[in-house]
Amino acid sequence: MIDILLYIVLPYLAVLICIIGSIYRIRKEPMTYSALSSQFLEARGLMWGSLPWHIGISLILIGHILPFLFPGQWNALLSNHAMLLAVEGLGYGLSALCLLGLVVLGARRLISSRIQSVTTTMDLVILLLLLFQVVLGMLTAMRAQYGSMWCTGTTVPYLWSLVTLNPDLSYINDLPHAMKAHIVGAWILVLLIPFSRLIHMFSVPISYLTRPPQNVIWANPRHQKEKAEVFARDEARRHFIKASCGVFGGLVLLSVGALDKIGQFFFGPRLSFSEETELMESKLKRLELTAEQRKLEVERRENEFILVAALKDLDREEGKYFIDYQMQPAIAFKNEAGLPQLISAKCTHLGCTVGNKADKEGRILCPCHVSYFDIKTGTPNQGAPAEAPLPILGWVVLNSKGEVLASRSKTGEINGTIATQDAETAQVFIRRADVTG
Amino acid sequence: MDVRAQVSMVFHLDKCIGCHTCSVSCKNVWTDRAGSEYMWWNNVETKPGTGFPTLWEDQDHYKGGWKKNGGGDLKLRSQSKLDSFIKLFYNPNQPGLEDYYEPWTYEYENLFDAEEGEDQPTAIPISQITGQPMDIEAGPNWDDDLSGSPIYAENDINLDELTDEERHQLFEIERVSMFYLPRICNHCANPSCVASCPSGALYKRGEDGIVLVNQDVCRGWRACVSACPYKKVYYNWKTGKSEKCILCYPKLETGQIPNCFQSCVGRIRYLGVLLYDGDRVADAMKVPDHSLVEAQRNALLDPFDDSVIAAARKNGISEEFLEAARNSPVYDYVMRWKLALPLHIEYRTMPMLFYVPPLLPAMGKLENGIYEHSAEKFFTALEQSRVPIKYLARLFSAGNEEIINSVMKKLMAIRYYMRSLDLDDVDVVEISKALREGNTNPEEAEAIYRMTALPTVDQRYVIPPLQREEVISTTCSPEMCKGCTGLGVTVEIDRGP
Repeated sequence: MIDILLYIVLPYLAVLICIIGSIYRIRKEPMTYSALSSQFLEARGLMWGSLPWHIGISLILIGHILPFLFPGQWNALLSNHAMLLAVEGLGYGLSALCLLGLVVLGARRLISSRIQSVTTTMDLVILLLLLFQVVLGMLTAMRAQYGSMWCTGTTVPYLWSLVTLNPDLSYINDLPHAMKAHIVGAWILVLLIPFSRLIHMFSVPISYLTRPPQNVIWANPRHQKEKAEVFARDEARRHFIKASCGVFGGLVLLSVGALDKIGQFFFGPRLSFSEETELMESKLKRLELTAEQRKLEVERRENEFILVAALKDLDREEGKYFIDYQMQPAIAFKNEAGLPQLISAKCTHLGCTVGNKADKEGRILCPCHVSYFDIKTGTPNQGAPAEAPLPILGWVVLNSKGEVLASRSKTGEINGTIATQDAETAQVFIRRADVTG
Repeated sequence: MDVRAQVSMVFHLDKCIGCHTCSVSCKNVWTDRAGSEYMWWNNVETKPGTGFPTLWEDQDHYKGGWKKNGGGDLKLRSQSKLDSFIKLFYNPNQPGLEDYYEPWTYEYENLFDAEEGEDQPTAIPISQITGQPMDIEAGPNWDDDLSGSPIYAENDINLDELTDEERHQLFEIERVSMFYLPRICNHCANPSCVASCPSGALYKRGEDGIVLVNQDVCRGWRACVSACPYKKVYYNWKTGKSEKCILCYPKLETGQIPNCFQSCVGRIRYLGVLLYDGDRVADAMKVPDHSLVEAQRNALLDPFDDSVIAAARKNGISEEFLEAARNSPVYDYVMRWKLALPLHIEYRTMPMLFYVPPLLPAMGKLENGIYEHSAEKFFTALEQSRVPIKYLARLFSAGNEEIINSVMKKLMAIRYYMRSLDLDDVDVVEISKALREGNTNPEEAEAIYRMTALPTVDQRYVIPPLQREEVISTTCSPEMCKGCTGLGVTVEIDRGP
C-alpha cells in the first residue's frame, strides 16, 4: 500500500502539481519566476558553490535522461566494458562535484550574514533535499554497482510504465532501499519546483541565442498602425503559404500510399503456386506454435501438475529451464542420488535470470552482478550482491502410468524411491499442492 | 531612414556646483525601497576621481560596452551570446557590493529606548542589508571634493595618458583643481545593456528613446549590470531584478520635468528632443575612436530638413514632437553650436546625454587674480590649462583633443565677447579675432550666452507631449486593465519562495 502511494500516486501528483503550479507561477507571477541571485552580496563562495553544482547537476541529469529516452542505444553503448567503466567513473566525479557545490552553497547560506538576509526557509529545505538526493545517488552507485547498466531493466521500464499510464511496480520492487529513497526524493523535488527557487530551471535564456541585439518597442499608435498593416499582410500571406504547403504535403503523402497499393494490385509481383503454399504453411506453423503456447498456459492454470522434463533428460551440470506456476523461470538438475533438484532461477538481488550451468562446486551464477548460488541449498556466496537464497522447489516423479514414484515436499522431505527400470520412463513434475499448499 | 525620437539631455558642467540635490531628489522618489538603498540612479562625481562604483571607467576590469572585433563589427566586450552562457552560473565581471558600498542607517530607536545609564545613548550605524552594526568604509560620494588625494583622484584611469609633469601640475598643492560630473543613465542609442540581456527584458522605447527594464521579464541574470559601461544598471538584491534610471517617464508622460532636472540648483540641465537615424547607429559606432563624436553627430538628424520631417511622419512621430525637436535646447548645444559632447563615447553605446566641458577649472589660473584681456594670451592659456585638455579629451571625445580645443575656444570667445559688451574694455579687432578663432559670430555668441546664463524653465526643458493617452485608449480600456495605465491597483513587489 505504502509502495503504491510512494511510487505511483506521488509521481503522478508531483508531475501534475509541478506542471499546473509552474504554469500558474510563470503566468500569474512572472516577477518571481527565477532564482534570487546573491552574487552581488557574496561572490567568492558563490563561485566555488554555484559553478561545480550547476555543471555537475546538469550533466548528471543528462545522464539520467539519456537511458530513459534511448534505452537500447544506451545499453549498446555500455556493452563495451571500458565505456561502462568510463561512464560510471564520470558519474562518480560529477556527483562529487555536486556534493562539493552543495556543501559550499549550504555553508555560505549558514555563515554569511548578508546571505542570511536573503535566505528563505524553502531555500534551506531545497538545499537539504538536494544534499540527501546526491548522497543517496552516490550510495546506490556504490552498493549496487553498474547502475548505469541495470537501470535500463529496472527504473527505466518503471518510468515508462508511468508515462504510458500503466504503472508497474514489479520493476523496482527488488531495488535496494537507498535507490528507492532516491526515487522518492526525486518525486518530492519535482513536486517542490513551483514552490521554490527550483522554478528557475525553466528560465534558461535559449531565445538569447537568436534574438537581434537591440530591442526597440514602439507604443505609438500612428507607428503601430503602419506596422500592423504590414504585419497583417505578411501574416495573411504566411498563413496561406503554410496552409497550402500543409494541404499539398498531406495530399502527396496520401497519394503515395494509395498509388502504392493500386500499383501493387495491378503490377506488383505475384507469388508462384509453391511460394503461396509455403507462405500458408509457415503461417499455419506460427498459429500452431501460438496455440501450443496458449495450451501450456491454460494447462499451467488448470493442471495440478506441470511437466518439467523426463527424468533421464536431467543432468548434473547443465540444468533445464522451465516455467513455474507464477510464470517465473526455474532450473531442474539431477543430484548425486539420481533425484531431481529444482531451484528458482529468479535472482533475489534484482530479478535477473540465473544461469543454468553449474560449476565444479555445484553453484550457478547470476551474470548481472555476479552472485553464485548453491544448487542444493540456494544460498548465495559470501559477499554476493544477492542476500537472500534462491528458493528450492518441490517435485514429483511419475511413471508412465501416472503413479507417484517419489516426491519432494516443500519442506524438503523426500518420499519414495525410483527403481532403475522406472528411471527410463519416469517424468518430473511440479505440483500445485507443493507450491500453493 | 528610420527616424527615431529621443528625449535627450545636456549637462552644462561649468554651472555644476556639486550640491548633490539631484541625487537626493532621485533617491527620495525612486530608490528608497528595500534592496535599492545602495543605488544612485543619479550621482555626482568629483573629477579627477574614481567615481561610483569605484573605478567604473576601468573596462579592462568590468568589461562593459562594445568593442570592435577583427572584422570591424561591433561586439559586446563581455556578455556576448556565447560568453553569457559560460557566465550564467557565476559572472566574474559583475560588480559586487564592495564595489559600491554597504548601505547603512542609524539605530535611532536606541536614542529613545536605551536603558538608563552613565552615558548618553548613541545611534550607531547599522547595515541596511543585515541590520547588524557595521563600520562605514565607503559611501556613494566617498571621494567628494577629494581631488589631489593620492588614494582617490590619482587612481582615475583617465589620467593614464598624462605625463608625470602634467600629473604633478594637476595635483599641485593649493592649485589642485577639479570639477563635478553628474551622471544619470545615458539612454544610449546603441545600448549594450539591452543587447546583453539574456531574457530580453531591457528595451528602448521607440517614441522617446527611454531605456527600461521590464521587471516581469527580467530573470536576474545581471548581464546588463556588467555590460553597461557606465554602471548605470543596478541589481536589486532583494527583488532579484535589475533596475535603472527611468528618466522619470511617469512625470514626462504627464508633461512634468524629471526629478533631477527639476531640483537642479545650478540649472545646469537641459532636456529636449533629438531625432536620429536608427539605420545609421551601428555604422556610426564602428568608426575609429577619434572620429566617434563626429560619427554620432552624423547619425543625428536635422529637424528642419524636409526629407527628415517626411520620414519622421512616416514613422509615426507627431507634429508636436517635431515641433519640440525644432525648439530643443539639446539640438542647439549638440548640433548647432557643437558645444556638448558625449561621455566616454569610446564605449560605443552612442550615449544620448551630452556634457558641455568645464571651462572654469581649465582656465582659472591666470596671473594676478584677473583674467587676461588679450585674445592671444587667452588662447595660449589653453595649453597650460590646469585640467589638461588630454584629460578632458579622454572623458568627452574618446581622446580627440581637437574637438575639446574647439569647444574650449568657442566658450572662451563667447566669454570674451560678452565681457566686451558689458565692460567695453577690449579692442574691437581683438574681439573679432577671438570670435574667428572660436569659430563663432556675435549672434551665435549671444544666443549661447542667453541659453547658458538666462534661460527660463521652458527654454531649458522642452518636453514633447508623449501622448501616452493615445496608446492607452487604443490598446486597452482603463477599466479592464488598470495596472497598465498607471492608474488603479499597484502590484506589491514580493518574490515569494
